[in-house]
Amino acid sequence: MISIKNVTKKFSKVTALDNISIEINEKEFFGLLGPNGAGKSTLINLLVGYFDADSGELLISGKKVGKNNYEVRKKIGLVPQSIALYDDISAQENLEIIGSFYNIRKNLLRAIIAENLNRVELYERRKDKVKGFSGGMKRRLNIAAGLLHDPAVLLCDEPTVGVDPQSRNAIFDYLEKLNSEGKTIIYTTHYMEEAERLCSRIAIIDHGKIITSGSLDKLIQLLPYKQTIQINKNHVTETKKELFNKFGAIIDGQEMYELTPFDNIKFSEFFKAMEDNGIAYNYIDIQKPTLEALFLHLTGRRLRD
Amino acid sequence: MKNILHLIKKDYIIFWHDKPAFSLTFIVPVFLIYLFGSIFSGPGNSPSGIQIAFINNSDSKIAKKLESVLDTTKTFQLIRSYTDDKGKKAAFDTNTIKDYIRKGNASAALVIPRDAFTDTSMGLKLKFYYDPKNEMEMQLIEGLLTKSIMSQMPGLFMTSMQRRSEIMLGSGKGKSFNKKIAGVVSQYFNVDTAKINKWMSSSNPDSMFNDTTSKKANFFIDLLRIDKEQLVGKEINNPGATRSVGGWAIMFLLFSLSGASTSLLDENKSRVILRILSAPVSREQILFGKYLYNFSLGCIQLLVMFFAGYVLFHIDIFSNFFNLLLIIIAASLASTAFGMFLAAVSRTQSQASGLGTLLILTMSAIGGAWFPTFILPPFIQILSKFSIVYWSMEGFMDVLWRGSGTLDILPYIGILVGMAAIVNIFSIIRFKKGNLFL
Repeated sequence: MISIKNVTKKFSKVTALDNISIEINEKEFFGLLGPNGAGKSTLINLLVGYFDADSGELLISGKKVGKNNYEVRKKIGLVPQSIALYDDISAQENLEIIGSFYNIRKNLLRAIIAENLNRVELYERRKDKVKGFSGGMKRRLNIAAGLLHDPAVLLCDEPTVGVDPQSRNAIFDYLEKLNSEGKTIIYTTHYMEEAERLCSRIAIIDHGKIITSGSLDKLIQLLPYKQTIQINKNHVTETKKELFNKFGAIIDGQEMYELTPFDNIKFSEFFKAMEDNGIAYNYIDIQKPTLEALFLHLTGRRLRD
Repeated sequence: MKNILHLIKKDYIIFWHDKPAFSLTFIVPVFLIYLFGSIFSGPGNSPSGIQIAFINNSDSKIAKKLESVLDTTKTFQLIRSYTDDKGKKAAFDTNTIKDYIRKGNASAALVIPRDAFTDTSMGLKLKFYYDPKNEMEMQLIEGLLTKSIMSQMPGLFMTSMQRRSEIMLGSGKGKSFNKKIAGVVSQYFNVDTAKINKWMSSSNPDSMFNDTTSKKANFFIDLLRIDKEQLVGKEINNPGATRSVGGWAIMFLLFSLSGASTSLLDENKSRVILRILSAPVSREQILFGKYLYNFSLGCIQLLVMFFAGYVLFHIDIFSNFFNLLLIIIAASLASTAFGMFLAAVSRTQSQASGLGTLLILTMSAIGGAWFPTFILPPFIQILSKFSIVYWSMEGFMDVLWRGSGTLDILPYIGILVGMAAIVNIFSIIRFKKGNLFL
């Protein structure tokens, strides 16, 4: 479906993408995981034809993507990282403007807009100005705007930035539904929880290079250990980070700390220290390692460094 | 206290990096102070080189002296000839000098008639033709002309006075009075009586000053008589509003179009441009679409402003509407190009806003929107010819004030469209090289 072959893109002296190659299958939910500045957005911008690659080739359904290849863009829906909407007009007007670029008949476009607004639960607010929307509502509308022309591929560039957990889950549910209905989705994020939850296959990108790619299970197998200790983040545990450091390498995740124990640590000592410091057992869990741990293992850095 | 100092330092650092705020705080006011200072800084800086069409039909010495005085003063530049339809230079006569004014080539003409000094019913007679398209300019020209004549030619005044007094009082009385005055002056100031007596002649000033009932009261009035004739704009309903509407309209047009054009920068910042480009839309279409939108908005804005002038001040916009429309289109094209130029050279909307304010205020000041350009320093008068405001205002005035036809306003249209083309080419190059679409 999507073929990225030996693509390099430079900005002045900075190499944003360095000879990367990825194959993405039809109806796949593909994750692009990497820290800020890794090259994720550059790859998305190349896929929408915002600019051309310096070398290499990008194909969607066999058709070359480029700055002047307009036909292939009809296959792509974009959900940009920013809320790419006009604040001072209504949700309905925003979608009418964006939909008009795809030459959809007026009546049909209105029906599509109504359907999309219903799906993102914004139909009742369709006549309200976007500036009055919450962050989550804007994000949902941002997604709806990318789907008006029913694209085969949806490119989501960190679509949940700045969104509360409840709205984020609603967005995840919606994207999963779209994927189950047959849309190919490319999803960039620096939150490993998002990639783990949503993506059937993940590529880890750093400094413009694909470090590794594959399914979650396959990637985790790259780690030398099979289990980690996960500690829920809350007002108690957030004050005990130094204590955790005595027992292993800590990864500070969105909702939890992930502890990869040092080799010589006895679990009985760890649990005793937790008990002595008022950390209840139900805050602690033994789990499979996360992608954050994998990234740390592969790059020596954390995803959010 | 330390924290307060840190806070002050913080604000200065932010201010230093905020170029629009910096330019609006220092550069714009300093420039405007310079400009206004140059205009209103007193007699040492009075206007110079004001062009006046001129004919001297009199053979009298006094007329030649007057011509020589006007020729040597820096205030005026006398124009004695024009280029006829065949492209040849020809000296003015009374008809051609009037046409010259009617066509807007100069605002005023001074004619010294054949009988300027031989007509004994008055001292010195002059003919003044004018086009009051700019009231301030006309008042200033009149004032400066009278001042030049009076201050540079006291002899004219005295000669004229002697002759008038002889005619009105009789030569005997005048001579007797002069003799007495000469004696008194000689006694108290120890000067030669004969010389004073020679200087004076036979008038009787006392009677001239006190008698307000007889024809003698006209004595001073008729020492210098300038017959004025307005050649253009007599039929204008509201001269004041007609003069000012064009300047204000073009200034606000520039403000609104620069804001509309630089919205491209905001659209880019919010990545709406990226979203639009992800659709089958090209960069050229985005730029062209923005240009056409701004152009149409500019035309509508100008039409609304002139219509408001019609409703509120009864400015006649309909008797020459087609030509007004042509100038509106040309001015909108040029103003739109200016807005796109701002978008092309700026990185952010606030930067564009600062630069735009600086350029618009400058162009309005030097282009004649606030005060007539003739009172500006000469080099700024040259600069004003490079501003959209100047040529738009000239066009509007020609259409509304003079009722000029399409052929007459073609030069203005050509210059405005030419300006638009040059600025557009520059902007396109900048857009291609710049970071608007990155």
